[in-house]
Amino acid sequence: MKDEYVHMFKAVWAICWKDIKLYYAKGPIVVTGIIFPIFLWMAFYAGKGLELKEGLASLITLTLLFTASSVTPIIAPWETRQRTLEMLLSRPVTVRWVLVGDVLASTIFGMVFVTPIIALGAILNITPANPFLTIVAITFTAVGLSSLGVMFSAIPTDTPADVVLLSSLVKLPLMFVSGILVPITQLPSWILPIALLSPITYPADFVRMQYLGSSFLPPYLSLIFTVLFALVFMILALELHEKSIFKRLEKR
Amino acid sequence: MYAIEAFDLHKSFENVKAVNGVSLRVRKGEIYGLLGPNGAGKTTTIRMLTGLLKPDRGYAIIMGHDVVKEPIKVKKLIGVVPEEANPYPDLSAWDNLILVGRLYGIPNYEIRERASNLLKLLDLYNMKDRKAKNLSKGQRQKLLIAMALIGNPKVLFLDEPTSGLDVLSARKIRELILEMKNEGITVFLTTHNIEEAGELCDRVAIIRNGRIVAEGAPSELKIKAGAYTYVTIMFNKPLENCKLDFIKPYEYKVQSSKLLVICSRPAEVVVKIIEYAKKNGLDILDIKVSPPSFEEVFVRLATGEV
Repeated sequence: MKDEYVHMFKAVWAICWKDIKLYYAKGPIVVTGIIFPIFLWMAFYAGKGLELKEGLASLITLTLLFTASSVTPIIAPWETRQRTLEMLLSRPVTVRWVLVGDVLASTIFGMVFVTPIIALGAILNITPANPFLTIVAITFTAVGLSSLGVMFSAIPTDTPADVVLLSSLVKLPLMFVSGILVPITQLPSWILPIALLSPITYPADFVRMQYLGSSFLPPYLSLIFTVLFALVFMILALELHEKSIFKRLEKR
Repeated sequence: MYAIEAFDLHKSFENVKAVNGVSLRVRKGEIYGLLGPNGAGKTTTIRMLTGLLKPDRGYAIIMGHDVVKEPIKVKKLIGVVPEEANPYPDLSAWDNLILVGRLYGIPNYEIRERASNLLKLLDLYNMKDRKAKNLSKGQRQKLLIAMALIGNPKVLFLDEPTSGLDVLSARKIRELILEMKNEGITVFLTTHNIEEAGELCDRVAIIRNGRIVAEGAPSELKIKAGAYTYVTIMFNKPLENCKLDFIKPYEYKVQSSKLLVICSRPAEVVVKIIEYAKKNGLDILDIKVSPPSFEEVFVRLATGEV
């Protein structure tokens, strides 16, 4: 049994290593991970005279949204098209291990981009109230968003654009209704029910609480929902792929 | 114990039966070939045997383990070169091997050692740092074989291993397959190259419309197919006016002084013709007996002529 777990961890790490080397350590992906959140953030905050700590909290969630879910939607369709997925799955790995490896790589990618923002805040003496819980929340947010991306890619297609379109259709509206750029309290009241359904609302609110000391929801509730969403997305992603993988391979 | 056993495998795609009750047994250490025309169900069979597709009905056992119930155990024992799969094009040959070695859970130092040995064996060591996309088709195929061998498999599945390769690369791969057999590895291959199957395989199965229609050693199949032998006899003068009805029921053709007989009992025919020649004052200049090619056997079995 112990050997099986060792094998599983090695295989998951190997997939993660492959993803980082193939997808994340690439100029365009890195630049996109920097440019998109920063320019969007600047578009909303420039000239509004808001406090830096408020901007920092928004930038952390925005960066996670744009990095942790950026590549995972395209890996499965891309590898189906390149005919590398079949090669991979004919080795002693399960679909689940492959997906966990994908999520791990994406989570690391998100964390790598968020870390300098937190470090910059620390240099400017802007620190979260509870650094440990903040890191926990950020990590689970990255896991949740990575899993969300993997979930989209469960559609058994070999055309990455199909999945990117679906992913963007969901992700972009989430950015506006989740209180990342504009606090939930300042959003129109009719958006509130939608905001509460958004998985980004909870980490955004939690991080805001950590940096600003005030939040819309009780912080423990936000943290619980952040963890819950991550787990639910992860389970859904694994289940959906488990169901669609043979259909995907049959199409080849 | 058999290395590979398949029992009544069925698989349909959108109501089209791709595999319709395939059962087979492959002994340990033998090279077994699955032959058939395009769309006969070869790749679907190999994909079910390697756990890439779930059969609709039936099951497969590899080295005593059920493919569907114990996929990881099975995949640890096998190496696979899928027909249309690729190595990661943007990873180097070396990194592709390291990745696959890690998926088998092999310790890093051992992966590096095996990767070096395999790349040397396959004449790829000098291009180990070259990205897979920059390798030729033959080199990529050799890399895929190296990737299939890095886990020290007991059973090797090769789906069209020499398809589209130049003569030298194909020969190298055939030599390698024979080496694998010498090392005790069971090899299951599909191929379009009929003569290759006849040359390499201890036993072959012919698959048609998702069913195995014949199985046995290539020499046995020649008998089973009732493949005919060509007997060509050259006489000293034209045969236009000769009565050759005694050759029937075998088919024959006369071209001036050349007689071609297509028959299943060449010795009997040759004796009759020699007697006829003696009686009719004909001199025989040359007799040539051509055994049936394996290709002919395949065509007869695969097209349902038999």
